[in-house]
Amino acid sequence: MKAVNTNRNLITTFTKGDIFSKLSYVVLGLSNIKNGQVLKGLVFMALEAVYIAFMVMTGRHNLHMMRTLGENTQGMTYNEALGIYEVSKGDNSMLILLAGVVTLVITGFFIALWLFSIYSGEKARQMRALGKRPNTFIEDVKSLANENVHFLFLSVPVLGLSIFTVMPLIYMILMAFTNYDQDHQPPGNLFTWVGIKNFFTLLSTGDRLSATFWPVLGWTLIWGFAATFSCYFGGMILAMIINSKGIKYKKFWRTFFVITMAIPAFISLRVVATMLGERGIINVLLQQWGFTASALPFLSNVTWARVSVIVVNFWIGVPVTMLMVSGILMNIPAELYESAKIDGAGPVLAFLKITFPYMWFVTTPYLISNLIGNFNNFNVIYFLTAGQPLTLDYFKGAGKTDLLVTWLYKLTKDSNDYNLAATIGIIIFVISATFTLISFSRSNAMKNEEGFQ
Amino acid sequence: MGNFRKTVIGLNLKNHLQAVIASLLAFIALFLPYVRLGGEKGVATNKSVVGVIAELIKGYTNIAKSNGDSFPWVYVFVFGSVVLTIIAVVFALVSVFKTNEKIMRVWQCFQTLALVFSGLLMFSTRAIMRTSGIAGNFLNKDLSFGYWILFIASFVALVLVMSVTKTNVGYIALSVLGVIWLFPILWIVLTAFRAEQGYYVGYFIPKGFTFDNFINLFTNNSVLPFARWWCNTLIVALCSCVINTLIVLMTSYVLSRTRFAGRKAFMNILMIIGMFPGFMSLIAVYNILKGIGLNQSLMALIVVGAAGAAMGYHVSKGFFDTIPKAIDEAAIIDGASRFQIFLNVTLPLSKSIIVYTVLGSFLGAWSDYIFPSMLFGDKQSSYTVAVGLYWLTDFKRIDTYYTQFAAGAVIVAVPIVVLFVWLQRFYVEGLSGSVKG
Repeated sequence: MKAVNTNRNLITTFTKGDIFSKLSYVVLGLSNIKNGQVLKGLVFMALEAVYIAFMVMTGRHNLHMMRTLGENTQGMTYNEALGIYEVSKGDNSMLILLAGVVTLVITGFFIALWLFSIYSGEKARQMRALGKRPNTFIEDVKSLANENVHFLFLSVPVLGLSIFTVMPLIYMILMAFTNYDQDHQPPGNLFTWVGIKNFFTLLSTGDRLSATFWPVLGWTLIWGFAATFSCYFGGMILAMIINSKGIKYKKFWRTFFVITMAIPAFISLRVVATMLGERGIINVLLQQWGFTASALPFLSNVTWARVSVIVVNFWIGVPVTMLMVSGILMNIPAELYESAKIDGAGPVLAFLKITFPYMWFVTTPYLISNLIGNFNNFNVIYFLTAGQPLTLDYFKGAGKTDLLVTWLYKLTKDSNDYNLAATIGIIIFVISATFTLISFSRSNAMKNEEGFQ
Repeated sequence: MGNFRKTVIGLNLKNHLQAVIASLLAFIALFLPYVRLGGEKGVATNKSVVGVIAELIKGYTNIAKSNGDSFPWVYVFVFGSVVLTIIAVVFALVSVFKTNEKIMRVWQCFQTLALVFSGLLMFSTRAIMRTSGIAGNFLNKDLSFGYWILFIASFVALVLVMSVTKTNVGYIALSVLGVIWLFPILWIVLTAFRAEQGYYVGYFIPKGFTFDNFINLFTNNSVLPFARWWCNTLIVALCSCVINTLIVLMTSYVLSRTRFAGRKAFMNILMIIGMFPGFMSLIAVYNILKGIGLNQSLMALIVVGAAGAAMGYHVSKGFFDTIPKAIDEAAIIDGASRFQIFLNVTLPLSKSIIVYTVLGSFLGAWSDYIFPSMLFGDKQSSYTVAVGLYWLTDFKRIDTYYTQFAAGAVIVAVPIVVLFVWLQRFYVEGLSGSVKG
């Protein structure tokens, strides 16, 4: 490419550009119109006009209201004309916050449009400067099926994610900095910004909330590690047995275990939960078979319940690992085992020196994402124990097998302490992010090792 | 006895002697103390298996004389373990003098049965003691060392015989694990066909079998609109498996095969979003749905599912990454657009990942619980099976509806299991793709 007037960035486009380029920073699409893309420029302009109209009509108000989240509490006022008390409509903090977030997201889209229009105008100008003809509108539309296919294919996902994931997420993150708890429920009451107070109450010691938070976090970590590694090693051993020489009908055996995995989790977990109850079939059989004289508290005693959920998770998780590991095991070069055998290594040594290092190397990223998944393993805990056994030591609702996520769920669903739920959500994010970063640095380090030798 | 050093083709005679000894030990254990009786009174008497059998036969003839009762089936275990242990030891001895593969196989077979029966004896001793009236409140801690020697010696003998016949010992582990793994499944299937209603029953195998539980599910519509729930779920599952698959495939195709500004940023944003617990923001989603008038409808489930579908692009992106770029380039030279390449080149090459994605989103709809339960609240007619079945196992309803719950679970699980087992290959390919990526 020629050096003239090419490769301008956002700033140099403005400083080096002509008056149209400069003006197109304010009036979108001007540069496009000047350079022959009239229809495209008009579309940019129209979209800008729509945005401005929106901001003037409601957006400005929405953002303004977000500063206080509403001031007029709903109350009773005397209507002199009718001679009765009637409900005066107050502000609804929740809707105000939501409208504010919607406005923010729309503004975000507008900023993207702004950047895109500048980029597009600059490109049209460049084409002109190089003596080429800029794309017509029809050609632009056609390019959606070709070099610009990412706009076509990603439009639906981006729109969907913005509305149903990003927007709610921003909303909830903001909520962590308010006092939207049980005592501040709209429309009857207002809630307002409280800064990082929620984080202090949750993380500092001494408060009842923090006396719940730390033990729950501790159990979440224990659970995560126990659940991940028990299934990992269990699945690996199972896969090795099935794949070992001399086992016939491998497919049959695999299917046998896969059945537990195929059944939807809520069904198998609810079934097992009913089986483990005080009058459930397992207790009945254990007594009939003479293993115990009285019912065992599988789900009602703290330690028993914690062990039970890990064991049941093992039951569900082992087949998944088994399936995954089976594929990898077949990739291990058979020569490694043969030479190990010639050198006199037994099966245990072969496992320790060949199979395990290889697996460990290949599956570390999987293991870490699995770990994060288990920290957030809502299903197993909620369907099996629903967090019970409950305890008086904990903040309302939380039980001894509750993970941070199930506690979060209870806080939103049962007690409406949205601010606490949001705060916990952010803390979970921090934990997950930490582990992901560790995973990234690990796998980068491994890439430099040039693979398993 | 000189046969121990002989070599026989197909056999590994290194452990032959030990196997015979273990089998003999199991035989001897039949005469060692099996149960310890009257321990709580201080004067414990021990009885061997053979001794117990003698007593059973004596007792049985008395009972049979008095009321012509049928033979108690639990006795099978104690008789079985004695008979099978004896047969096994006989074959063990025969194998010493006539060492060939056939004898070994027969011995192995009986040794397996002997082990199974002596294992089952552990579970049935209490019942045997009660039925025969020897000891009313026998517990397994009263099993004496003779029993444990019998059990362990049978086990060791089996392992050794298997090593002689070069059979993989893994079969033992797989069988035991298989029983444990299928136990809950067997239970729920049996419960689904159980004639006796109620949650609590004191036995494993139902006294009567019936289809009523299934029929009730579909006829008792006023209380339990299961057919409705099932249809709801099917609609959601079918819609979302089409829409979600399209979205996932398109997203992963673009992220894998094309390069554009902001691609890395887009993937990073998706990763960061994914680290927040998903249902943290459900309440906001609920309000947004209310705002656009979609709350409490199945449409909402489909829309929200589709909106988040792109998050699961990893596996199929990993798969697309493995398709050689040269194919795309050849198609571009031939004048195909990216869109045409996606339709006519990439998709036909990605059958396994399409099946994987379709299967995943179809199954997801059946097991999704949190969002539907929050969305529908107490509007029962819109429930999906997950919410409905969970609602049935609430402690207030579990006693009335437990067998119906089991029937519902079977109805939901069977098609899914069949589908899953049938398409397992694709699932495995997808999973290993996720590890590679």
